[in-house]
Amino acid sequence: MSRAWLAVLAAVVVLPLTVRHAIATEIWIFAIFGLGLNLLLGYTGLLSFGQSTFFGSAAYVAGYLLKQYAINVFVALAIGVVVGAVSAALVGYLCVQRSGLYFIMLTFALNQMFYFIAYQWTTVTGGEDGMPGIGRPALLGVDFRNPLAYYVFVAALFLLSLWIMKRIVESPLGKILQAIRENDVRAEAVGYDVPSFKLLAFIIGGGFSGLAGVLYAMLFGIVPLEAIGFVFSGNVVFATLIGGSGSLYGPIIGSFVFIWLSESVSVVWERWPLLLGVAFVIVVLFFRGGCVEAWARFWSWRERRRALEGIAQ
Amino acid sequence: MLYALMGLGLSLITGVLNIPNFAHGALFAVGAYFLFSAIHVVGNFWLALVLAPVGVALLGLAIEYAGIRPLYAAGHDYQLLFTFGLSLILGEGIIVVWGPIGFSQLPPSILRGGLDLGFIFYPKYRLFVMVMAGLLVLSTWLFLEKTRYGAIMRAGIENKEMVSLLGIDIHRLFTAAFALGAYLAGIAGALTAPIRGLSPSMGVDMLGIAFVVVALGGLGNLLGAIAAGLIIGVAQAVVALYWTEASVAVIFAVMAAILLVRPQGLFGIR
Amino acid sequence: MALLQTETLTKAFGALTAVNGVTLEVQAGTLHSIIGPNGAGKTTLFNLLTGQFPPTSGRIVFDGRDITGTPAHRIAHLGLARSFQRTNVFPALSLLDNAWIAAFARGRSWRGLVWRRSDGYAEVAERARAALADVGLADKADQPAREISHGEQRQLELAIALAAAPRVLLLDEPAAGLSPDEMQKMVALVRGLKGRYTIVLIEHKMDIIMGVSDRVSVMHFGSLIAEGTPAEIQRNPEVRRAYLGGMVAE
Ligand SMILES: Nc1ncnc2c1ncn2[C@@H]1O[C@H](COP(=O)(O)OP(=O)(O)OP(=O)(O)O)[C@@H](O)[C@H]1O
Ligand SMILES: [Mg+2]
Repeated sequence: MSRAWLAVLAAVVVLPLTVRHAIATEIWIFAIFGLGLNLLLGYTGLLSFGQSTFFGSAAYVAGYLLKQYAINVFVALAIGVVVGAVSAALVGYLCVQRSGLYFIMLTFALNQMFYFIAYQWTTVTGGEDGMPGIGRPALLGVDFRNPLAYYVFVAALFLLSLWIMKRIVESPLGKILQAIRENDVRAEAVGYDVPSFKLLAFIIGGGFSGLAGVLYAMLFGIVPLEAIGFVFSGNVVFATLIGGSGSLYGPIIGSFVFIWLSESVSVVWERWPLLLGVAFVIVVLFFRGGCVEAWARFWSWRERRRALEGIAQ
Repeated sequence: MLYALMGLGLSLITGVLNIPNFAHGALFAVGAYFLFSAIHVVGNFWLALVLAPVGVALLGLAIEYAGIRPLYAAGHDYQLLFTFGLSLILGEGIIVVWGPIGFSQLPPSILRGGLDLGFIFYPKYRLFVMVMAGLLVLSTWLFLEKTRYGAIMRAGIENKEMVSLLGIDIHRLFTAAFALGAYLAGIAGALTAPIRGLSPSMGVDMLGIAFVVVALGGLGNLLGAIAAGLIIGVAQAVVALYWTEASVAVIFAVMAAILLVRPQGLFGIR
Repeated sequence: MALLQTETLTKAFGALTAVNGVTLEVQAGTLHSIIGPNGAGKTTLFNLLTGQFPPTSGRIVFDGRDITGTPAHRIAHLGLARSFQRTNVFPALSLLDNAWIAAFARGRSWRGLVWRRSDGYAEVAERARAALADVGLADKADQPAREISHGEQRQLELAIALAAAPRVLLLDEPAAGLSPDEMQKMVALVRGLKGRYTIVLIEHKMDIIMGVSDRVSVMHFGSLIAEGTPAEIQRNPEVRRAYLGGMVAE
């Protein structure tokens, strides 16, 4: 087992001992969300600014069924994955033919469409008030209302997701998506139907987002309208970029940083999104390349100092 | 017409600067709030209507200079994050300065009440806005088509190397385009305030629509943006007559439908 | 019978007819060169053959099968592989992965696409390595493509085409932008491929062409103005005129 996996496992164990269970749980949920985006952003080079479409749709649908019919947890999760994947297929179908700014704007505009549907369809979604009353039905005698039990459940699902994503990026598909990111004209010329592969990436990413959405709804017992809003989409882009979109593990680091950041600024000030915005701007202007690169730069700086000290002596 | 104004500004920015400007909606909202405050300070609607968008343009100038300029080489992802962060800052900043609760703003006294057009009774102020927005779109278009500076800007959309080769400072051009786009967003916001009132969320709502207009009109296609703005505006007005709740979602549905039928957008992609 | 042939193939970009009524036959196992001055429409002809865009009119027949209008990725599956005039590789991927991508696309099945580990395809990896070895890049297999020299990138360009185990190899100025030294190497390389593949070669430089080609077609302003053996072409007055600055060429 690699060092990265050991680090992740250690984090899974240590996290609930150091922060509130709800926050610890949220971190892994957000990490799943980020894994899904990173397949698009990091591997395929598609900057989707509409990931909350899939996250939110899944949360609403599965949340509604959980609330009305108290369906089995696994059924809810499966439904969430399917809803995420299907909504991603719809959005992806319209978007994959485009590139650059056009692509970004379309994913965003379609995100807004879903948002306004949720906003107006108050009888189901509760509109601005959100959709409350989502339970966490017990499974095999385990009561998920216990925060620690739910944490363990989510962490296990996260590890499963990470493993699946690792398999995907190490499969031929992972290589093909990277080739498309690097040069889509050549990828097409050597025999890959580029739009179809992009769509496939969308669908897989949507499935991950959907899973995260359902877990999120069950964590807070409510689907807030924001869960399908564009700020959510922006947050996951931020988390993925800051963690480092070039690596499978980047979104995990990003999720830590982001949740930690938003939790800490939210206790400081009620208008915390402003501080978050400031953080975005600062990161973009001064720390481009994300944590992984910042870390690498720090190391090379230290190495150089060591070397200099060596020369001095 | 207001949509056309927003779309025109955004299309200019995306076309010339080649960045995703997610702060465009926030600039729109700031325009409205500037108007609101300016009226309180100078006590005159007309003067305020002149000042507010200029204020937004200056804000745009500062943003481009300090924030966007370092990012031209950085890739869309970071540009997006920057303008997105900016829209959070501006949106929340509005709440900090003016409070979370919206205001209503009365139109100036001579534009209150309605006008009987025979077949329909139409509020005077709305008519005024339509005419104003029409004039603004027309003058912007004339500026871009007929003046030297406008020609340079259009050239900036078509071919940036060419512009640099001609010895024109591309950075100045970018700044100017961003400021002009911001001005158009600001004045659209200011004009909207007496119709829909002011609320912190007005910017985000408008942002989506502006993107739809640009997506349909074609990136950097200025005439396309104007036409798409009109189409969307009319479509929304018609739907609103029958099914008010859905009128916003319908805009997006219309976009999706058009793109399904015509993947290249209404007027082609550059 | 010809392996690859076109019938009055035409492509117009607005007012400009880049390829104009080209009828061409490429016999299996030969090296068929296409020459012509800048802007003659040679690359556009390749783009038509490989399905980059559909022709305005005319037909393309490959191995007895009409492939006109077939999208690029399907044509690649039929066994038409090309190299590009302007280097067109996957910069961040290793050389091996560059070739691997092309080799995998031509695999017999895509089973395990999403799930099997990509290093578990022995046959694909074998073909990719062989292609790199063919062009002399085997020892750099693990370097990213963006880190090798321009000359080596031109070789990689060729390796990507070879990795697809093509039935017809379309080479678009493989020696473009090379130093005299590198050029020698590239010519030797192409000569080595001759006989193993059916090759269509675009080239500017007469001396290269004359040494390696079985047949030569000459394009000028989108049309074919001559075809024949290298010796015949060299004697052809019309070709000379086109190359010496083209006084007339209706
Ligand atoms: N996609 C396109 N759109 C418009 N015009 C094009 C396009 N591709 C090529 N052309 C034009 O078609 C003509 C033929 O170009 P092409 O690249 O095929 O020439 P070529 O013979 O390959 O020249 P060279 O030897 O310089 O590579 C040129 O005038 C070129 O400008
Ligand atoms: Mg060429």
